[in-house]
Amino acid sequence: MFNIHLIIQSLNSSITIYHYLFIGLILFVIGIIGSMISKNVIKVLIAIEFMLTGININFITFASYCGNDRFDGFTIALFYVGLGAVELAVALYIFYLMFQKKESDNIETYSEL
Amino acid sequence: MINNPIIFYIASFILIGFALMSMLFKNIIYSLLCAIMVFFSASIFFYILGSEYNAIIQAAIYGLAVPIIIGLSIMFTTRKNKPYKESLLSYITIISSILFIMALIYVIMISLVMTPDSFRFMELVQFNSYDVISEFARGIFIDYVWAFELVSLLLTIIIAGFTLFSGRLKVESGKLKKNKENRTNV
Repeated sequence: MFNIHLIIQSLNSSITIYHYLFIGLILFVIGIIGSMISKNVIKVLIAIEFMLTGININFITFASYCGNDRFDGFTIALFYVGLGAVELAVALYIFYLMFQKKESDNIETYSEL
Repeated sequence: MINNPIIFYIASFILIGFALMSMLFKNIIYSLLCAIMVFFSASIFFYILGSEYNAIIQAAIYGLAVPIIIGLSIMFTTRKNKPYKESLLSYITIISSILFIMALIYVIMISLVMTPDSFRFMELVQFNSYDVISEFARGIFIDYVWAFELVSLLLTIIIAGFTLFSGRLKVESGKLKKNKENRTNV
């Protein structure tokens, strides 16, 4: 079922930029699908954070592989981390305030603000 | 930059597996714990890509601060009809103790980064913190100063609008309560 030689060969091969970009892409896709499928508000926010993390992986990959003399990609990734945390805090507080009115964590109940 | 396929494949397996588990669990606390693992494995990716500073920031903000915020929001929005199981308390105790130990490690790492001359391990991993911090400072305060100011202005507007929004919500909820009381009296 598993080709052991292929696995050993892949373990011996060096990691390229496409490996990291593929991981970032997978995390981004998981975030998109999770934010569309899940009905819990907090889970949707976690999925959005996954998307941001995938974007950050792409930023840092490009910064590392494509010549980063001035740390541009790292700095922008830092901005994204800060903005993601603030966005999450604001969204959770809004959710808390809305929860006091509707008392439900299902996202379909919040279709009307 | 560490070009080791074994570390890469292990980290990617942890990241993708826990991300899928986080989305598939029905219990929100389990999905939060899996999300913590995803954020820490992302910080491992940042480290092996050569961005140690971003890795520390990722582990500190997404690995420690964000889960605390989400956990608090889960606690505040849990219904009283659904009490937590007693077995869950032991899990929470273990995880909080692990987080506390990781926070201690983070503080020790930060203190070592601040004083690299007195610690030779940093020379072994070729991590020159002064250059990294000066480059970041140049990026934030010189090259991208307009972006930095714009972001701070946006955050100020968000906070101001947020206070207004919460005030309006309180007024509206007060009106709703009054209407309910009037209906019950009638």
